[in-house]
Amino acid sequence: ASAQERLWSFPILRSRCAAAYGRCVQASTAPGGRLSKDFCAREFEALRSCFAAAAKKTLEGGC
Amino acid sequence: MLRPAGLWRLCRRPRAARVPVENLGRREVTSGVSPRGSTSPRTLNIFDRDLKRKQKNWAARQPEPTKFDYLKEEVGSRIADRVYDIPRNFPLALDLGCGRGYIAQYLNKKNSSETEIPTVSVLADEEFLPFKENTFDLVVSSLSLHWVNDLPRALEQIHYILKPDGVFIGAMFGGDTLYELRCSLQLAETEREGGFSPHISPFTAVNDLGHLLGRAGFNTLTVDTDEIQVNYPGMFELMEDLQGMGESNCAWNRKALLHRDTMLAAAAVYREMYRNEDGSVPATYQIYYMIGWKYHESQARPAERGSATVSFGELGKINNLMPPGKKSQ
Repeated sequence: ASAQERLWSFPILRSRCAAAYGRCVQASTAPGGRLSKDFCAREFEALRSCFAAAAKKTLEGGC
Repeated sequence: MLRPAGLWRLCRRPRAARVPVENLGRREVTSGVSPRGSTSPRTLNIFDRDLKRKQKNWAARQPEPTKFDYLKEEVGSRIADRVYDIPRNFPLALDLGCGRGYIAQYLNKKNSSETEIPTVSVLADEEFLPFKENTFDLVVSSLSLHWVNDLPRALEQIHYILKPDGVFIGAMFGGDTLYELRCSLQLAETEREGGFSPHISPFTAVNDLGHLLGRAGFNTLTVDTDEIQVNYPGMFELMEDLQGMGESNCAWNRKALLHRDTMLAAAAVYREMYRNEDGSVPATYQIYYMIGWKYHESQARPAERGSATVSFGELGKINNLMPPGKKSQ
């Protein structure tokens, strides 16, 4: 798989970081909730760091 | 024998300046059909058909294009089932928007991936059918009408080219199709960017489908709905497959760019909200199957008012009312 494909691979998306972001967004869809810009910014930043760390490992580990 | 003895396959191509109009007989078709109703030109131009042709051509040129055919194969076989359900011969049939052809192979006498029905392929546009009135006994169309801009007109043209007592059997994507993808993208885009734009095509509602078929002149309509769920490793694999099927978005109002952050966010939301037990994510394809007939005197009609010989009130005594010999029913 190309480096690009390995970056988008699903192990990252199965991580706790992804689940936390997903749960935050899903919670906003409950009755009375309201989703606005950056409502889950903290969780997304955590996800982005996870993703960057995994990407760095993938690129370093690959040829 | 219930299969069409001859088959025309109509594949997608917008009007090209190079081909002389007379050769296609288009003048005869378009002069005979005038669009009824007054829909404004704006609502009839949702999709960039030129782009759709390019997307389909790109998909066909990929290595192993048939690995994306699973959905169309399945729906094609279900349309063929419906053709078999009708106890009639169809000497001449048209497969509209056929792609690589997913229906005719199921109408063979024996199992095979190629059709044994003699076939002619024609490159044309679903909205401008190059056939004369009363040509076909059967018209089938599987999963291609959802990219048509003027659907009322396309259905009218299908009705026009059918012979009296001919039948149209079609399958189109319904409103619940890819709702998981639509919702995930909507939520992620709202959270990341403060607003969202449509990424999934608008689909025809099932009520509207009935009305459109009626307006086009079809009788004895049936519309039924089916859901096919396909599981994918994740949202990106789903989007890759949609692109491979030639089903990428081509609406004029599509956003040119989807930010990587938004894609990552959407994939995380998709997984959290919809994933299966085994970690895969489902995608729903809702299919509407429609059957409509072109009028012929031999077809059953509602009885005349006042011609009833029994009343509903006597339903309780139905055994007494039925002629002897039929009581076992």
